[in-house]
Amino acid sequence: MDPWQECMDFGVEVTKEAGKMIREALQKEISVREKSSPVDLVTETDQKVEELIISSIREKFPTHSFIGEESVAAGAPSALTDGPTWIIDPIDGTTNFVHRFPFVSVSIGFTVNRQIEFGIVFSCLEDKMYTARRGRGAFCNGTPITVSGQQDITKSLILTEMGFKKDPEHFRTVMANMESVLSIPVHGIRAPGSAAVNMCLVACGAADAYYHIGIHCWDMAGGAAILTEAGGVVMDITGGPFDLMSRRLIAASSRGIAESIAKKIQPFCCGRDDTEN
Amino acid sequence: MADLWQEAMDHAVAVARKAGEIVRDALHNDMKVLCKSSSVDLVTKTDQKVEQLIIDSVKEKFPKHGFIGEESVAAGEPCVLSDNPTWIVDPVDGTTNFVHGYPFVAVCIGFAVNKTLEFGVVYSCIEDKMYMARRGKGAFCNGEPLHVSDQKEINQSIIATEFGSNRDPEVVDRIFSNMRKILCLPLHGMRGAGSAAINMCLVASGCVEAYYEIGIHCWDIAAAAVIVEEAGGVLMDFEGGPMDLMSRRIIAANNKTIAEKIVKEIKAYPAVRDDAPLQTKQ
Repeated sequence: MDPWQECMDFGVEVTKEAGKMIREALQKEISVREKSSPVDLVTETDQKVEELIISSIREKFPTHSFIGEESVAAGAPSALTDGPTWIIDPIDGTTNFVHRFPFVSVSIGFTVNRQIEFGIVFSCLEDKMYTARRGRGAFCNGTPITVSGQQDITKSLILTEMGFKKDPEHFRTVMANMESVLSIPVHGIRAPGSAAVNMCLVACGAADAYYHIGIHCWDMAGGAAILTEAGGVVMDITGGPFDLMSRRLIAASSRGIAESIAKKIQPFCCGRDDTEN
Repeated sequence: MADLWQEAMDHAVAVARKAGEIVRDALHNDMKVLCKSSSVDLVTKTDQKVEQLIIDSVKEKFPKHGFIGEESVAAGEPCVLSDNPTWIVDPVDGTTNFVHGYPFVAVCIGFAVNKTLEFGVVYSCIEDKMYMARRGKGAFCNGEPLHVSDQKEINQSIIATEFGSNRDPEVVDRIFSNMRKILCLPLHGMRGAGSAAINMCLVASGCVEAYYEIGIHCWDIAAAAVIVEEAGGVLMDFEGGPMDLMSRRIIAANNKTIAEKIVKEIKAYPAVRDDAPLQTKQ
């Protein structure tokens, strides 16, 4: 018997409720605040949705732990322990949400002994529910999904994100990395605006890789499970093993593609999720 | 009084829908991909099949009308806009996306008379979103009216643009230089759907405040140009004057304030006009 299936089923139901809340919020005016910079946005809906998810799960599984984006912003610890832990991004793609740009997702990754057991990503404007249980494959709305299997970087479509960075050196590196990847050459680069959706786009074969420096564990946990179960790879941007707390990753349809990207991009330091800033 | 071009527009919508079905079906089969001007400028049999379908069906109903179609021009047809009623067609806008199954692929049909765009139809076929606009009658997506965003602050905007298919290092440098300038205003963010027509429909829908690009063609923008204007938006050239359909460049924005801020920051680079004589093109 799968000890975590009940958690996963419950997680999917809660995620559907969260998606409903997000879609309803889009019918009204959205009031926006800035977090760490003018491009790091948060809304009341982010906070309400996270509260809904955590309180529902806590009621059913009172001994479980949580790492949630808005809770961490409010001072909760973000170190990953061995106990069953729900890693939550209530709205991944808040900027998209504010602008009603089509990629907005609820992301949940569930870990035990620091290993990701299942992932749920609900791209709620597209009504696409991505799920994966470790060892049991990945699905979108119940249909199995697989990566493209592309091995040739010159025939690949790459996802990443670009934005203003307070540190000019970081910004320079982000742009230089993009120019370096584009000039391999690759077929194209796209920036959908939600890390979790980006990973699912690679998982279902619509793109061949996604790389990013500066995201958080709550952006990556759900998508990492889905991508690996779809046959893809996640690795560190240096080519080493994936580190959920490192704030960076390459997620790709094949090891070959991932390594080609690792060769082209330079890291910069943005801290870790499990240390005090 | 009956609208002279309503029948043509209804036909455009019907044939765009049919074309979209062909595109969706083709996504499930193995795709043979050819390269045009470079290894990243792609075309498939579906591009050619869909354009043929559109042109044949229009010729049958409107035998005196003219055409400018992406694949016909690639095969040597002229690309000059006359006063004659003219259908300006991109059978698959976002061929790279199509090849990868990335969800933004559009069938685009623009219609001009006396060199004025009268209607535009953009069918984003993977999303099943039919965008359309008749000059003077508003813009719609699946029957719902469209309106641009009312944002006046560039710092709170999302701007769309693309890297295009020109990998000439000088061009790539200019593209990145423009991007850096715009990103540092700062903006809320930068996005790119991978289809010029869909980027413009995102402006018309209010999801992004503006879109700019050099390197596109008249068939990428003709249909969506009507949709943007009918949704309350503006079209501008990189130098700040009115959009020139054959100039290979465009700024489409929710209002003049945002458009002019973009004009201030970005520098154009040369691109051969769509209506240039054949020997000056590559």
